[in-house]
Amino acid sequence: MEENQLLALWESYDRKLSQNLVLNRQNAEEITKIKVKSLLSGMQPIKIFAIIVGIVWVGFLDLIVFNVWAYASPMFLFAIGFHILLTKLSIGVYLYQLVLIKLVDINNPILDTQEKIAKLKSSTIWITRLLFLQLPAWTVFYWTKDLFQNLHVFQISIMVGVALGMAYLGVWLFKNIRFENRDKKWFKFLLSGKEWDPMMKSADLLQQIEEAKKEG
Amino acid sequence: MFTRDSTSFLKVIDANKGIIYKVANSYCRDEENRKDLIQEIILQLWLSFSKYDPSFKLSTWMYRIALNVSISFYRKESRRGRINQPFPEEIISLPAEKLPIEQNEELDMLQKFIRELKEIDRAVILLYLEGNSQQEIADILGLTVANVSTKVSRIKQTLKQKFATINR
Repeated sequence: MEENQLLALWESYDRKLSQNLVLNRQNAEEITKIKVKSLLSGMQPIKIFAIIVGIVWVGFLDLIVFNVWAYASPMFLFAIGFHILLTKLSIGVYLYQLVLIKLVDINNPILDTQEKIAKLKSSTIWITRLLFLQLPAWTVFYWTKDLFQNLHVFQISIMVGVALGMAYLGVWLFKNIRFENRDKKWFKFLLSGKEWDPMMKSADLLQQIEEAKKEG
Repeated sequence: MFTRDSTSFLKVIDANKGIIYKVANSYCRDEENRKDLIQEIILQLWLSFSKYDPSFKLSTWMYRIALNVSISFYRKESRRGRINQPFPEEIISLPAEKLPIEQNEELDMLQKFIRELKEIDRAVILLYLEGNSQQEIADILGLTVANVSTKVSRIKQTLKQKFATINR
């Protein structure tokens, strides 16, 4: 089909639509009475809630560290410190998302707006990556010198093996939970479902925006 | 003088309902979801109505919002969760007896091919078919005119090839 045929086809469609489309004024008027803020306003409360809970949790853990610093085992301090650090980074991601929500303005050009929305949605993957990176911390926090002195070498081997396995798994997942791997079976097994679909679509959109900027 | 009350808004929507319908139709094939998308577009247009800058064409503002909402529209649950009040029923519709409008085979194929394009390309070709100049398309999308020109040529070529395939 040639260009002029395409345009003529669309024009005839447009003409017929303008003759026949009906606006239900009563229903349209009801829209103007609905109390809702913006396209992304629904995302704000859960982010704010997560930040508040995160700050309270980290504050509580900081207090524990401060109080037990002098006599706690090095492994406990290492594990809790690692957990605190990653939780603080997660709070940072939520703050970044809140800033993006504030910056999104659907009156702005499509690419600019969609880039912010896509970054907002796809950045949730960072929370997941940080969550998995914490895996080894949960396997070593109870290690003490006394525990190792009282255990059989076989038991110690199992504990160390589990810790090393979790460390490897945590780092591997942190490195590999990326949108480039979204079609792999393990990725779909771990991260699939309705809540992940918008995030995957956002990653696609970010790629399209990058390509759109380069073309031309 | 441009007033921002609901009466003026309804007039703007009535005069430009075709834009809303065509954008929604290009991004949402499913009828029920499309109704929701149209409602969401009108809601967002209303919420942004006070921010409309009359130095821009009204259609530029409408396309920006309609496309931004359509591209970000995933599923109705995401919106339903945000609104406590019941949502009104269909706002823009084609009466049942007029539906054969869309039963033109070539138009069906064109719309199918447009829906097969990626979201940004879909916006580009939609704006082009709607008769917007390359400068207007660039303003709506936030791209350079040269960039728009390259894209329009490439997408037209893609559509041409798709039509050629089915005519073989």
